[in-house]
Amino acid sequence: MPDTGVRLQMTDITKRFGAVRAIRHADLTVHTGRVLALVGENGAGKSTLIKILSGAETSDSGSIEFEGAPVSISSTNEAMGLGIATVYQEPQLFAELTVSENIFTGREIRKGGRIDWTAQNERVVELLELLGLPARYATATVGDLSIAEQQQVSIAKALAGNAKILILDEPSAILTDAEIDVLFTVIRRLTTTGVSVIYISHRLDELFKIAHEVTVMRDGRTVGTYPIEDLSVRKVVELMVGGILTETHHERHIDPTATPRLELDGLGRAGDFHDVNVVVRPGEIVALYGLIGSGVSEIAATLYGIERADVGEIRLDGKRISPRSPGHAQRLGIALLPANRKLQGMFSFQSIAFNISAGHLPLLSKGNLWMDRGRERSVARDMIKRLAVKTPSERQAIGAMSGGNAQKVVLARQLVERPGLLVLAEPTQGVDVGAKEEIHKIITELADEGTAVLVVTSDLPEALRISDRLQVVRGGTTTVEFGRDATQVDVLAAAAGDVDNDPAAAPAAPGVSSTEGGQA
Amino acid sequence: MTTQIAPPAGGPGESREVSSRSRVLPSPITGQEIVLIGVIAVLWVILAFATPAFMTAGSIQPLLGAVAPIAVIGIGMTVIIITGGIDVSVGAIIMVCAVIVAKNLVSAGWSLPVALLVSIAVGGLLGLINGVLIAYGRVHAIIITFGTANIFQWLGLKIFNSTTVNSIPDTLATLGNGEQGRTWGVPHAFAITVILLAIAWWYLRHTAGGRHFFAIGGDAQAARLAGVRVQRRVLLAYLLTGLLAGLASCFIVAQGSNLGQNVGTGKELAVIAAVVIGGTSIMGGRGSVLGTLLGALLVQTVTSGVTQLGWPSQLSDLFVGVAIIVAVGTDLIRERARRARR
Repeated sequence: MPDTGVRLQMTDITKRFGAVRAIRHADLTVHTGRVLALVGENGAGKSTLIKILSGAETSDSGSIEFEGAPVSISSTNEAMGLGIATVYQEPQLFAELTVSENIFTGREIRKGGRIDWTAQNERVVELLELLGLPARYATATVGDLSIAEQQQVSIAKALAGNAKILILDEPSAILTDAEIDVLFTVIRRLTTTGVSVIYISHRLDELFKIAHEVTVMRDGRTVGTYPIEDLSVRKVVELMVGGILTETHHERHIDPTATPRLELDGLGRAGDFHDVNVVVRPGEIVALYGLIGSGVSEIAATLYGIERADVGEIRLDGKRISPRSPGHAQRLGIALLPANRKLQGMFSFQSIAFNISAGHLPLLSKGNLWMDRGRERSVARDMIKRLAVKTPSERQAIGAMSGGNAQKVVLARQLVERPGLLVLAEPTQGVDVGAKEEIHKIITELADEGTAVLVVTSDLPEALRISDRLQVVRGGTTTVEFGRDATQVDVLAAAAGDVDNDPAAAPAAPGVSSTEGGQA
Repeated sequence: MTTQIAPPAGGPGESREVSSRSRVLPSPITGQEIVLIGVIAVLWVILAFATPAFMTAGSIQPLLGAVAPIAVIGIGMTVIIITGGIDVSVGAIIMVCAVIVAKNLVSAGWSLPVALLVSIAVGGLLGLINGVLIAYGRVHAIIITFGTANIFQWLGLKIFNSTTVNSIPDTLATLGNGEQGRTWGVPHAFAITVILLAIAWWYLRHTAGGRHFFAIGGDAQAARLAGVRVQRRVLLAYLLTGLLAGLASCFIVAQGSNLGQNVGTGKELAVIAAVVIGGTSIMGGRGSVLGTLLGALLVQTVTSGVTQLGWPSQLSDLFVGVAIIVAVGTDLIRERARRARR
């Protein structure tokens, strides 16, 4: 650590939005050249606090001291002027412009009246080197880069203004494990040059790899700041939810002889996956776990009818099916929860009630002609209660709700009619710990009532927690299978493989049962 | 489908060397523009063979004269569409400016500079109204300009006072289609258009202000966070288009001695067609004024070609329609291909 003086101090910050007290009381201290993790459930006030620091919002009261002098930050330009740069979760980039242009938009290097492209480019190449990225990116069009690469560009953009404090808002949410490692390397490299980092994440295990201190927020207050050595994931979660979390991992009984509800038999699709074998029985929760790029999301897309398989069979209750579209899959009896709920799952401007009843219109209408508003309302209210959705009314627009609550509403749509088979893709991505817990509980309850559940996820703790059986997808195919006694290390090792760079090369590890064997 | 981060570049010295030699900017001419040049060239060759009269000055000069008002407004419209907006009121702006100029040429005996200045000022004022409403009212551009188009049209018809303006003196002949309107055979209106276009091209490509239009069209929120004065830029785009529509009105008045009440009608669609055919993305963030000039040229070539071949004039509408769909289609296909690659 080069210098660990206090660079920034936020004291007694408060902020209201109308009647909502987004921040009741927040203190934040950032040290030079250190990584401060900021954690809290969705709605705890993290984003608001960050917005105040980055100038996107102004606080109602409280003070900010930067490098020992009191400052007021009333615009993003002022924040940038101080050297406070923010990398938002969604890359804030211009797809049609080059990387170099993106980095310098708003602070172009000018020569005479025009932009000095050569000077900008040289500076960009330096930044790319600092981040360990190839120099040829400088003139690439951003829209042609992958999401992970775009995020690297966002960081380069933040650093171009000679940032002293770099705020990373959930940078890992959209990245694969390998990409996260690259990100951490970048962060470490930056801190050795004296940059302070504020790191926001829902993936708590990450904090132990990168953070020096952790500030926990709950209900609009900063609960406290702790050195990372004094914490464990469990301790952080307890601080976040303000109570003790009980690990519910009860043994569930599944009849191994029951007719499988869903069978994937030798399913394959050229270029994406091959020889995929999965069996889900009534009442059983099976997780398909794979790193991004393993083919796991393509398998889910096939079940959803977004893509078609080339070979093999999908059987539902023993009958061969081939979903042509998500609508068709649902008519066949597969309830679906898509991974990208913002794009595929919800009608943002519509009410909760609308979002729940969409897809069940025949059930909730009178003679298929007009909507039974009364029933729609009562079903919505019932669901809000059952899923503990935090909202003042069923008329609230879903777009205004936090990620966890919105996800619950989208899930609720699938539960109006108790489904025989529920397929979920990344059910708790971007969802806070408390809501995650509730969503897991709902899934388990459904399974207890006899629904067969297939969870496709890249969140390993989640896969381990809720599944009766866990199948690892690697190199485009189902490889090994784990039962309830599996550990994170085992599964991750199986998913990442022994041969690092060639995921398809290594066969299923010996000593673990093969796909059809089953340890359940 | 894999989203692997490429391994770090080799030695620092090595990579810097590569970059300083490689191109710093994207190509000055886009693929679509090259295709357009090709299509126009092919059409001209075909027309030259089919109707010998096509390749004569008497045919090309009016063609360029007709391209001028569309392309000159197209400069502004390109900027607007790059920011992700649209302006369907330019036809009505033309009507207001043209009728004011025509009437005063007749009754007040305005000189050319006065006519030009007033026309550009009136166009600018109407563009400013659009700009203020869109930039600060935060209502979608198509709604606002659809509304103002109707208001401007009412205003124009009011000034027309239900009569065609007749026997307009040839004060504006320097900008017209006659002998006085040409130097070395090139229509002045077209020359002015090309000069303004060159300035706009350079401005959009090489200045911070110009690049900010592209940033706004790419992601307005991100642009705001990057310190771009989004509202001011958006306002400027509509103001510019208004000013240019004022100039174009003088080109149009100069073309005849009568001005009917249908002046400007449908011009907004002709301009938007030229911009879209020129490769400017209707979704914003990408485009070029060079493409717009080519788009206007293509549309006009098709129109005159159809007339000179003696084909029914509706056919030119059909061809222009197909060209628009092809242009927008390529844009969408490109966008999808890009998504699929991720």
